Amino acid sequence: MAKKRERLEVIRDILKSIRERRNIKPTRLLYASNLSPQMFKEYVDELLVKDFVTITTDKDEKKTFSLTKKGNEFLDQYKLIENFVQNFGL
Amino acid sequence: MDIYSFILGNKETFKIIYAAIIVFTCLLIVLKTNKLFQLSSHSGIRYFRNAFLFYGIAFFVRYFLVFTDIFGSIITPLFEFFIIMGGFFLTYSLLSKRLNLKFYYSSLLNPIISIFYLFAIILVLFDIILKTSNFMFLSQIVLFVVSSSISYINYKEAGSKNKFLKFYFSAMILILLAWILNFFVFLLFGGERSILINVYILNLVFFLIFLYGVIKITKN
Repeated sequence: MAKKRERLEVIRDILKSIRERRNIKPTRLLYASNLSPQMFKEYVDELLVKDFVTITTDKDEKKTFSLTKKGNEFLDQYKLIENFVQNFGL
Repeated sequence: MDIYSFILGNKETFKIIYAAIIVFTCLLIVLKTNKLFQLSSHSGIRYFRNAFLFYGIAFFVRYFLVFTDIFGSIITPLFEFFIIMGGFFLTYSLLSKRLNLKFYYSSLLNPIISIFYLFAIILVLFDIILKTSNFMFLSQIVLFVVSSSISYINYKEAGSKNKFLKFYFSAMILILLAWILNFFVFLLFGGERSILINVYILNLVFFLIFLYGVIKITKN
């Protein structure tokens, strides 16, 4: 059985999906994140609060997610953050 | 002249050096971890940073503000308050991952931290009323028993993967021993200074272990 992903890994995976596809629709991101809809909503809310992602609505009222500068920096420094969190048991 | 007599003979100088090392250590830890928090918005890193911020303030108040006449008799209650809050923050930083609580905008003023403030104030008030420091000592012993247990579980779960967890657990045991020793020195020996030197050494080692870990892991 696959190991359950740590919270930090889930956040990394969501942000990576957004970065790879640049602007991604909520449904596609939900599939890519491999989370239940309820968990997905929790994570997206957290990422919005932390200012890692933004939602843009186009003229057809369609929503897409994109990364903020902070979200990009998180991905760039992910290894350092993960190393710190794991070594201090946080 | 043995080392204890030498230190006791120059105790004021040693106290200042001791406090300066701890305040400087805390400052470095806060600056390094604040950078990581700005990048990650990780709750555990945030409360870990706050713990050392409060420890740094506590030692600054206790050993440096004492030279000013501004705070007078409230120096000890202030020191106790910041030390108790530091303990709460450090324990909470270890618990936050397991509790998986909501992310708050402020880490200094939110419902959970307000409960910690309330507890800290109550404990300090008890100490003031009963003219003792026992409530601070006991609160720290309880908090570090909890923190030591969590850090032991973290160490066992990670195996040999994350090497610093062993140091983290050792640091927790050291500080727990320091608080237990501190408590008994005041309870049984009326604050006997030669025994208290060992408490100061344990405290120093605790802070230096954390500084070592933070610098080592964030150096890249």
